[in-house]
Amino acid sequence: MKRLLVYMKGYRKECVFAPTFKMLEALFELFVPLVVASIIDDGIANKDSTHVVQMCLLMVALGAIGLTCTLFAQYFSAKAACGFSARVRHSLFKHISFLSYSEIDTLGTSSLINRMTNDTNQVQTGINLTLRLFMRSPVIVFGALIMAIVVDPSFKASGIFIATIIALSLVVFGIMLITIPLYKKVQARLDTTLLSTRENLSGVRVIRAFSLEDKEKDKFHKKTDMLNKAQILVGRISALMNPFTFVIVNLSICFLIYKGALEVDSGNLTQGQVIALYNYMSQILIELVKLANLIITITKALASAKRIEDVFEIQPSQRVEKLDKDTSSDYSVEFKNASLKYKGAGECSLENIDFSVSKGEIVGIIGGTGSGKSSLVNMIARFYDAEDGAVFVDGQNVNSYELDQLREKIGIVPQKAVLFKGSIRDNMKWGDQNATDEEIIKALEIAQAKDVLDSKKGGLDFQIEEGGRNLSGGQRQRFTIARALVGKPEILILDDSSSALDYATDAKLRRALSQLDYNPTVFIVSQRTSSIAHADKIVVLDDGKIVGIGKHEDLLNSCLVYEEIYNSQFKREGM
Amino acid sequence: MKNKSTIKTVLSYLKRYWFLIIVSLLFAAASVLLSLYIPIIIGDGIDLIIDTGKVDFDGLLPLLTNIGIIVVIVAVLQWLMNLINNRITYNVTKDIRNRAFDKIQKLPLSYIDLHPSGEVVNKIISDVDQFAEGLLMGFTQFFSGIVTIIATLVIMFVLSWKIALVVVVLTPLSLFVASFISKSTYSLFRRQSESKAEQTSVINEVLGNLKVVKAFSREDEELERFDKVNKKLEKVSRRAIFFSSLVNPTTRFVNALVYAGVALVGALLVINSDGQGALTVGVLSCFLSYATQYAKPFNEISGVVTELQNALACAKRVFDFTDEKEEDSDKGNPELSGCDGDIELSNVSFSYTPEKELIKDLNLKVMSGAHIAIVGPTGCGKTTLINLLMRFYDVNTGEILIEGQNIKEITRHSLRSSFGMVLQDTWLQNGTVRDNIALGKPDATDEEIIEASKAAHTHSFIKRLPQGYDTIIFDENSSLSQGQKQLLCIARIMLALPPMLILDEATSSIDTRTEIKIQKAFSTLMQGRTSFIVAHRLSTIKEADIILVMKDGNIIEMGNHEELLSQNGFYSHLYNSQFEPNEK
Repeated sequence: MKRLLVYMKGYRKECVFAPTFKMLEALFELFVPLVVASIIDDGIANKDSTHVVQMCLLMVALGAIGLTCTLFAQYFSAKAACGFSARVRHSLFKHISFLSYSEIDTLGTSSLINRMTNDTNQVQTGINLTLRLFMRSPVIVFGALIMAIVVDPSFKASGIFIATIIALSLVVFGIMLITIPLYKKVQARLDTTLLSTRENLSGVRVIRAFSLEDKEKDKFHKKTDMLNKAQILVGRISALMNPFTFVIVNLSICFLIYKGALEVDSGNLTQGQVIALYNYMSQILIELVKLANLIITITKALASAKRIEDVFEIQPSQRVEKLDKDTSSDYSVEFKNASLKYKGAGECSLENIDFSVSKGEIVGIIGGTGSGKSSLVNMIARFYDAEDGAVFVDGQNVNSYELDQLREKIGIVPQKAVLFKGSIRDNMKWGDQNATDEEIIKALEIAQAKDVLDSKKGGLDFQIEEGGRNLSGGQRQRFTIARALVGKPEILILDDSSSALDYATDAKLRRALSQLDYNPTVFIVSQRTSSIAHADKIVVLDDGKIVGIGKHEDLLNSCLVYEEIYNSQFKREGM
Repeated sequence: MKNKSTIKTVLSYLKRYWFLIIVSLLFAAASVLLSLYIPIIIGDGIDLIIDTGKVDFDGLLPLLTNIGIIVVIVAVLQWLMNLINNRITYNVTKDIRNRAFDKIQKLPLSYIDLHPSGEVVNKIISDVDQFAEGLLMGFTQFFSGIVTIIATLVIMFVLSWKIALVVVVLTPLSLFVASFISKSTYSLFRRQSESKAEQTSVINEVLGNLKVVKAFSREDEELERFDKVNKKLEKVSRRAIFFSSLVNPTTRFVNALVYAGVALVGALLVINSDGQGALTVGVLSCFLSYATQYAKPFNEISGVVTELQNALACAKRVFDFTDEKEEDSDKGNPELSGCDGDIELSNVSFSYTPEKELIKDLNLKVMSGAHIAIVGPTGCGKTTLINLLMRFYDVNTGEILIEGQNIKEITRHSLRSSFGMVLQDTWLQNGTVRDNIALGKPDATDEEIIEASKAAHTHSFIKRLPQGYDTIIFDENSSLSQGQKQLLCIARIMLALPPMLILDEATSSIDTRTEIKIQKAFSTLMQGRTSFIVAHRLSTIKEADIILVMKDGNIIEMGNHEELLSQNGFYSHLYNSQFEPNEK
């Protein structure tokens, strides 16, 4: 929580005023029993009707002032809580967007989204309630105690009050302490039933194909049984809370009345004062139960705050290093004995990658599933850092570039074709903020997406929905290619990005790419030999290692893996 | 389902617990009445403490002892009531949840295919919870609230009808204020949740595709976009939270008015009672303590009513689900006997929706051991035939015969277990690798599992997993690639060795080199087994005995590779368009 408190800055006024006004309200409430005592002892005893009327008006006035105070308090706390959570969300969003690929991998997208939404909400509620109640409840509890002493300084009522408060706190907080971890267990078991429901829906065909229905039912029933047991256990314990507090408060009231009677008998107290003490006792009970609920909310909020802080604590692992550069290099991209190991993985995903690419060359990267093709191109834009060795772009180690600068040189078409909500133009401008419509249309033409554009109502103004779901896979893919081309990158990376295109379009695209006037270095990652056969240089990967580099014809003769891949796609067709 | 029948269904779930429910209600009534009696005794007690030297200890002590006894009884009643309510609530939850889950296993596939799984999960998890807590807990609260209000009113009128009148006149004010505020906050909350949804969709889009955002260095622009919705949400929630937080203070204020009114009228009555004993200070104190508690049940009830409505809506959703039409029962049908793999489809017609006819009058005879390939462009309904063979869907007219037995007249289990199926959408269960491979043959030995795993080329990567075959995997686990998942699904079939095979794009995510290696294992497996193969790689299909060419859901051509090529129809077009560019 400590780290997040920074975001309360600027709400100092609200944070002081909200509890203060709440406290004032509580104080006014504490006067009410005294007023009642006065009605009984002064008004009724002296048969003074005017005094009674005055006192009742005073009570209404106290209520009205209390209400006003609360209105202020609620306003300030709502303002502080919402402002705080908006700031946290802003910073969290910013922080997350600066994390590098390997941190994103470790945390997982869904957990990041959860922290941005649920956890910040939880913290907001916690802060709001804390500002509102944290001062009120203790003030009422201890205020009632102090008022009891004020009512009768000589009397030992305060002793009864203290004993009651301690006993109540022990019961309320004791039960809470015991049940909180049990509730966590209930939640965990509920999660497993959820998981198994989801699993059964997504796997319904397999489950039925293997006739596993009854087995799955048994498994699920066992899970609900476990859940039921946990729920009943925690229910049994929390069921003690109300009866226990009820007994404690009422027995203390009995004791209080008895002691009070003794004092009245000996003239130390009046009847009205006994009633006042009795009323204070009731107030304590109500507030302590509220306090307990508040503490549950706060514990939840703290747990959420911890989860948010965990994200803040993760620092982007990538730093810009100061390194010498070799300005004379003719190479666009060089891998110098580079290895890549993903966080938490046992083995390297890429080992001793060593090759150079001249400016303007077209490079094909090919290999089987999991051979490290995407990993290799991801290292060029420094999405992942080399474990050993280094990657150079334009003669300069990628680690010494400002990331913006490095990535500006590179146009990437990712495997998963994603577009964002907004017009086609907005999406295309990702490649270059200042691109003109002509430049965008040119890029769309190269990406073979011009006909798609023409078919869309509004042309460049056509609104793409979230994730691009109002476009087909092939259309999305062509748009993502165009997006990368808009920036006229020095290095263009196509990561298996023509999989949704038919052969004819794929061929046209390749032809257009090879005729680009700004002559970029092109990396084409593919499983299809046909997509890369024309490349100036083909890198064949197998299990994270380079097993062959060369042109198509050379590799067919010299590289067994390449030959096998090729044959698996062509020879069997007899062509 | 109408509300009435929803309630009927609720009652049917509660029937088993009728005795507990009655006991709980009795306990609730008793504990409410007894606890309302306590202020009266305390009032009597206070009347005995009048002034210096005028304290009646002989009368006071028995009263206090009575309070003590009543308090303990009430506490015990409350505790037992809580236990009983917990038991009822959680058991009913469990019953409904189990019933709903069992339902999943009996629903026709069409239901599951048409409904997003999140929707069903929501019904089984959160709707059931909300229903149980809202309805059962709400009901007991509602009941105690009503008892409290009625009993308090009766007691107050008996004690002093004049003060009671003051209370009765003032309380509706509290209800009015509360409902006024909640009505006006409703629209604010709706706007808040709209804003939240808007923000969540930005978060989903950007964080879900963070890698793309980073690749284009768009961090700042996206942050700007986020900040816009963030600001909006901040504003809306501030207002929503503020207005909703007015409910409690205003009712507290109204309550203070009631309190003051009681004190005023009560005190004046005491002063003017002229010592006839009509109203004492004790009774006044008793009234005051009722007045502080009186508004509480009203507030609770108005809260409970919305909760009950909400719970009923949840219950309706759950029961609508459990009342869905199930697959036709196959109880009493014989098992499929002696399956060699002879399959015959005669005059089969089928469509998912009546408007769009898919398969019409299909006749197909498949001899034991034959290989049938189904080809066609994406989305042409290649999997429809599989749905029919596995009886995931039933034919509209015509019949499918296996070994001369209509598949509608044998048990689904025996039909399905005679097919081995590998689908394009891989599915792994949350469990160990071993469990996942042994899904179709739970009693398989380790040797058998490893052998099957070697045949499917999974052994080498499984060995490299942290705990080998005992590694726990999830379907959503990203540590396995799609190709590896598909290989695991193939290993399952290699282990189960059923008499017939269905391979639906079984190797789509596997690179061609590994595919060729598996292909060898597949050919051994397919030898002598009737096999249906859906694939987009024509190489896999060429050697099939029969090729079914599908387009727009219809089978438009049928025959073997050479026959179809010579027809120069859709198949030959498809075949040539795929391979033409490779000839360069």
